[in-house]
Amino acid sequence: MTNMKKSHKNLAISRLLAPIVSSRDVIDVLEKAIKKTNIKLVDLDFSNVKFISRSAAHALLLMKERLQAKKNISFINTNKDVTNMLRVVAANRIVSEKQKPEFHPEKIDVNVLFKEVLT
Amino acid sequence: MRKIIILKPRNDSLVAQLESLYKTFINAKFKENLNFDLSLLDWVCPLLILPVSAYINNTQSNCEINNSSIKSYLERISFPEGVDSISLFQQRIQKHKSFIPISVLRKEAGASRERLEALFAERIYETLGNVSGAQNAVCYPIAELVTNIFEHSKKDVGFIFGQFYPTKSYLDICIVDCGRGFAATYKEEKGLKLSDIDAIVEAMRGNSVKPEKERGYGIWTSKRIICDVLRGGGFILISGSAGLVAETKKERLVSLPNFNWQGVIAAYRIPRPSGSLDISQFLE
Repeated sequence: MTNMKKSHKNLAISRLLAPIVSSRDVIDVLEKAIKKTNIKLVDLDFSNVKFISRSAAHALLLMKERLQAKKNISFINTNKDVTNMLRVVAANRIVSEKQKPEFHPEKIDVNVLFKEVLT
Repeated sequence: MRKIIILKPRNDSLVAQLESLYKTFINAKFKENLNFDLSLLDWVCPLLILPVSAYINNTQSNCEINNSSIKSYLERISFPEGVDSISLFQQRIQKHKSFIPISVLRKEAGASRERLEALFAERIYETLGNVSGAQNAVCYPIAELVTNIFEHSKKDVGFIFGQFYPTKSYLDICIVDCGRGFAATYKEEKGLKLSDIDAIVEAMRGNSVKPEKERGYGIWTSKRIICDVLRGGGFILISGSAGLVAETKKERLVSLPNFNWQGVIAAYRIPRPSGSLDISQFLE
């Protein structure tokens, strides 16, 4: 699961977590593994990680910020999609690009909605 | 124990499934023990069958499937109990190759739960074939809707199920929790007293109960990916006594009288993509 490489600690995300990283709370598992090592330079190795959710990417970046005084964390071997997600979330954290969503749904009676089934 | 005969949906649309779901749980009392009779059903989709599975698991209710013409299908998808481990999931997939079992995600399982969810998502997007960008488009809504369960529902269990229909050329997915729902979440976390309808509106507008300003996009973006990127998809969100029915350029809110789902049901339909997909413009 982990490989020691001189002064670096390599943590394989796909083995420690999963090849699709979805949930915000699972980043806690990673944080514990990082805190457990006494090596300052930690590489989070995204080999074989196919997807990371927006929420997990956000939690990951927050964790990196939280630990930055004690650990120097790098993201390595990220594929194009993972890189893109991390960049978008990081950029949005610094400067929010978009306004909150415009959402103005029509209100409809339940009987009217179910009548549609027949049409 | 009150017997509930689940009515056959009048057609295969998501709204027809919603209608059967509504009629199944109408007038059900809080955590009432029910005995579900599935004998009238000759076809089900996740929006109808997964909430019934979750309800049975959450309330120790019962079901009768022996007289059902879809008994073997229900057994193949592990209805009603579902599977909650990778080994059970893999056993089921080995045995019934084209059927993905109902998956029960338990918060305390941590990374094991994450791997079970990943396995589910991989099986789901594989059914759509090798379409560029399909993995992102399929994984995004699953991931965001599931993470909401463990972030907000105050329940440690979530349910997820999907079924691809090759002859109809679409994929249905449903994600369910039996937690506190949107309205109670806003009330308990932010002191906002909202109706179920208004709570859905707040959630869709990205008003997170968490303090970070960049949070709260998960459900909204999931809906946009399903309805816009996946061209022609449909999205249904139910919490308490209210529901959102969304399609491309059409979003409708409906009150569901005498119905109260304790928690959240999110269900959506994805047509089989005909070309490459790109969700990057929707990432916020």
